[in-house]
Amino acid sequence: MLKNNYYTFFIVILFVFGCQNSKKVQKYYENQIGDTPFDKTKDKPNFKFCDSTKVLHKRAYIRYSGGEKALEEALIKKYIFQPNYKTFSGYFIIRFAVNCNNETGRFRMEILDTNFMETNCPKDLQNHILSIAKSLKNWHHPFYKGKDYDGYRFINIKMKNGKIVKS
Amino acid sequence: MKTTTSIILFMASSFCFSQVNCFIFLEGSPERQACELCDEAIKHPQGSKASQLLFDKAIAVGPKFAWAYYEKSVPYFKRGFLLEGLEILNEAIRLKPLEYLCYRAYWYWQYRNYKLCIQDLETYYSMPKAFIQFTPGGEKDMRIILGLAYAKTGNYKKGIETIKTCINSYDSEDDFGFADYHSLAILYVKNKQYGEAIDAIQKQLLINKDIADSYYYLGLAYLGIQNKTEARKQFENAILKLNDTNRYFNTNAGFMVHESDVVEALNNLKN
Repeated sequence: MLKNNYYTFFIVILFVFGCQNSKKVQKYYENQIGDTPFDKTKDKPNFKFCDSTKVLHKRAYIRYSGGEKALEEALIKKYIFQPNYKTFSGYFIIRFAVNCNNETGRFRMEILDTNFMETNCPKDLQNHILSIAKSLKNWHHPFYKGKDYDGYRFINIKMKNGKIVKS
Repeated sequence: MKTTTSIILFMASSFCFSQVNCFIFLEGSPERQACELCDEAIKHPQGSKASQLLFDKAIAVGPKFAWAYYEKSVPYFKRGFLLEGLEILNEAIRLKPLEYLCYRAYWYWQYRNYKLCIQDLETYYSMPKAFIQFTPGGEKDMRIILGLAYAKTGNYKKGIETIKTCINSYDSEDDFGFADYHSLAILYVKNKQYGEAIDAIQKQLLINKDIADSYYYLGLAYLGIQNKTEARKQFENAILKLNDTNRYFNTNAGFMVHESDVVEALNNLKN
């Protein structure tokens, strides 16, 4: 009897954990992975796509004046270290859009630790990084196959002990 | 030779990451059904809703079919959804580590997590059945990436050994990548082995003389042995090559040189 109870318990545990481990299948998709609809809690209403039906997902086509080195230098120049940031080592992956007028918007961010697991960082650091990303003005929208486009891209900011790590 | 190498690299990368032949699975089996759904999915633009829904369908019908997870994950990585991409790709790796571990290592490299990149590649190359794998673009052997990743963590010696072992394993010159010796030379310069760096760059120039950075590192190597005249000449060559629109763009270089770096090196020579 006791043995049977053990078996029942084991099967129940397997079932429960099995369910928890099963992969979350995303049920809803935008037209393209990365399409970022307007969210009034995050986005400024004055950012508009020139043609929201043809926003490119080709990150290499969105350039920064002076190239990636100039981009990194701008990030480092704008970054103001605070002692409490020292607790953070990890990555900020910031996705955003550049419209055909070279304006930016629809910023979204993933914060990851050094093992690429989702994590948190001091709130003021998070806000500071996001505001730096939003303040960059030297973006060039995609020019693809002879036409101007809106587009999405992302930047990856690596940090060690609260300092930006150069590429 | 370049053409031959390109074809070999292209074929190799295609072999690693391309379409799976669905006919190898028993007709009506979950794998066969999943495979055929994936074949349908990749006819749609990458990252499109239509393709993602078909991958989900494939995963539902054949949850052990690794290729579906791999293909589904690709646009997430390319578009900055790292967490989501990893969650999906990890399933492919769980099912077929030999096939997909290098792909995760590649994205760790791309997102500058050298610790995790090294971890995956060391695991991969310790597998008895590990075979030669390339970056998705086919331009670099993943052992070159491993060597560069060691260098990124400051372990130049191990990086040099890894790249040398990779180069020595090739049967003929046709197997060399367009920037293998270049990558080796960078690490020699970083490790202050200037004579070896000069030798490596000379070999690089015989294979591909169109990487601007090669001349910059050659200049640094000459500077290391106090030959300022030759260093200046090479820095000037680097500037010329940087302005050559037909130059070879060394994808996944790891250590990129910008015009401002070369100008700075030239200015330092004047002082």
